[in-house]
Amino acid sequence: MANVDELEALLRPPELEMPPYPPKVITLASGEKMVVRQLDREEVPILLEAIYPLLWVERDYYDIVSARLFGELLAYKRYRVKNEYVLVGLIDGLLAGMVNGHMVDEKVGMSYHTLTIRRGLRVGSHLFAAKMEYHMDFLNQEEVLIVAESPIGFRRWMIEYPLQKKYEVPHELGGGPSWVLNKETYLAAKPRLVSGSRPVSTQLLTGAQTIVLPEEEKIVAQVLGGKGGDK
Amino acid sequence: MRPVAVIGAGMTKFGRSEWPLLKLMNVASLAALNDANLGDVKVDGVVVANMGAARLNKQTAIASALVDRLNLFPAMAESVENGPASGASAFKVGYQAIASGMADVVLVTGVEMMRAVNNLEVTDFVASLSHPEAEYIYGVTLPGLAGMFARLYMERYGVTREHLAMVAIKNHANAMKNPYAHIHQTVTMEGILTAPEAVVNNPPIAEPLHMFDCCPVSDGAAAVVLATQEIAEKLGRQVVRVAGIGQATDTHAVHERPDPTELTAVRLAAQRAFSMASLTPQDIDVAELHDAFTILEIAESEEVGFFKKGEGHKALAEGVTSLGGKLPINPSGGLKAKGHPVGATGVAQLVELTWQLRGEAGERQVENAKNAFACNFGGFGNNVVATVLTREG
Amino acid sequence: MDEKVYGARCKDCGKEMYPAHARCPECGSENLEPLEITGEGKVLTYTDLYALPLDYEQRYLRLAIVELDSGLRATGQLLDEKPKIGKRVKTTVGVVRKSGDRKTHGLQFVPL
Repeated sequence: MANVDELEALLRPPELEMPPYPPKVITLASGEKMVVRQLDREEVPILLEAIYPLLWVERDYYDIVSARLFGELLAYKRYRVKNEYVLVGLIDGLLAGMVNGHMVDEKVGMSYHTLTIRRGLRVGSHLFAAKMEYHMDFLNQEEVLIVAESPIGFRRWMIEYPLQKKYEVPHELGGGPSWVLNKETYLAAKPRLVSGSRPVSTQLLTGAQTIVLPEEEKIVAQVLGGKGGDK
Repeated sequence: MRPVAVIGAGMTKFGRSEWPLLKLMNVASLAALNDANLGDVKVDGVVVANMGAARLNKQTAIASALVDRLNLFPAMAESVENGPASGASAFKVGYQAIASGMADVVLVTGVEMMRAVNNLEVTDFVASLSHPEAEYIYGVTLPGLAGMFARLYMERYGVTREHLAMVAIKNHANAMKNPYAHIHQTVTMEGILTAPEAVVNNPPIAEPLHMFDCCPVSDGAAAVVLATQEIAEKLGRQVVRVAGIGQATDTHAVHERPDPTELTAVRLAAQRAFSMASLTPQDIDVAELHDAFTILEIAESEEVGFFKKGEGHKALAEGVTSLGGKLPINPSGGLKAKGHPVGATGVAQLVELTWQLRGEAGERQVENAKNAFACNFGGFGNNVVATVLTREG
Repeated sequence: MDEKVYGARCKDCGKEMYPAHARCPECGSENLEPLEITGEGKVLTYTDLYALPLDYEQRYLRLAIVELDSGLRATGQLLDEKPKIGKRVKTTVGVVRKSGDRKTHGLQFVPL
């Protein structure tokens, strides 16, 4: 980052200490290995490139999710949201999906978005679960606030976990009322929703060091033509 | 009764359609008509198979609309709604029209556009075929009926989740060779059953059935052109003759059947089709079965007479039903991976078998296939249509 | 609760059925009378259904086919934490579906 002068120091939110998310590897239905790891700030531009063509895809609310994620990623890169993080899923280096969120304070986390590029393999489920795992197991938070923008998200997160209503607390994304994942629900859901193993072999980690993007048409085609739905 | 032949076949790629319902129908129909290459011969009948256009797409009387778009006036036309067996039922209606002499050339088009509404709505729409007072009110859906069927069947015959996974793995692999399939994604035993991650990869839908035991929700259309064998020969086409059609029904509420693990309508429909064709299950070289759920491929393979009751899963495990095996089942990928646009499915099965019999199935071609069999399963087995096709010469 | 679930009995041949039909499946008679579906029986098969239709906001629904001691079978909701094929249950009637304000009553099976 550029040097932090006085004004910049005022604009930047204060950061809490965040232990890094230790990478893990997940065997998918296809037998492929997906590495889930934390994104470095310097890698933000490549995610923006992946998201860009999805800004105009109305199906399953990809447009809204992409546009908001675009802003959140920029804010992360340029320190305009406090304690933000991004996790990515990579299959042979190829970007399969991404999730992000942040720490509201030490005890409360907030989930932002989940965007799946490789559809039909539960990549979104795995990544959302990794995000919850980060808040609960590594940031040691007590609860995570969540809203859904699409029916798929609603059905998947709200009912699958299942989350509790916490309508009195507004979510930063506005929209529907907040739902909350607390520690108890998380621990109950963990065996059936959080998976993967650590440590990740050096070979797989090396393969996941550089993010490779599918071709632009392929990104859109996968998003449109994928199995989709919440079956 | 005049002999009837399939002289043209075509379909759209199954999946999520960007096209409206009518365009799906137009595209599949034109593919079949162009394949038939009719020249001066006129289509004098149109039958459309569809289950949900009135509810899902807010369109009715779509057979008349199809005649209009394809300029097939003044052909007679009607739609057939017979649940998930609509496709083969429409084919049967087309067959009857020609066999009886009422028509000479009939276009049969099956179509369904299910992704126009969200999945909750689709689930409810399909569930509406169950018994309204004795099943539907309880939250019963098709996966629910299949789950109860599977649990009893598996307990009784020693079928395991591994066998069910084998059906999925085989059909996903077959679909990789089918450009028209909805799902182009291989799955592995590790990924859907044995790895610890399989809990997440393959979540329960209706225990003991999991996500990869269930067909996807698809949009798509498929069409065939039927004609008298005389016209088929005159046009110089390889004749694929409709050798037999059988249909049978069973109780609306599944629990009323004397033995709920028996698919009596499947057995009777198959027997009738084989009897009409003067063939036996052992004469069949390739089959398309209605694997809306993996357990159904195994159960149907027994009920139609390919294997003894309780032995279908063994044949599957031995590779008998794989491409390259003695009796390949669902070379197209089946409903499991090719997709299941309900009204289109029965027609799509016959499109695949026509291609197989003509030797036009590409990488998934079953060598030298002469006799083919299809089972189109409506309701939860309360209305079933079986069809036998034969290559002449 | 005065909500009940009915099948039918044929007044001519005595055949009992659930659900009711317009004609007796045994003798063809149209002379049928309502028959309350109630009693004890055993679980023939069951499932935990996660792909739920509209009207349900829970994670899954436990459904079963039960064989009653009368010989009749019925589909319904199974309210049992430890379901097993062959387990003894009895029928109760409860709310099985809620559509907005409309409640539908139906069979629920509870362990003995």
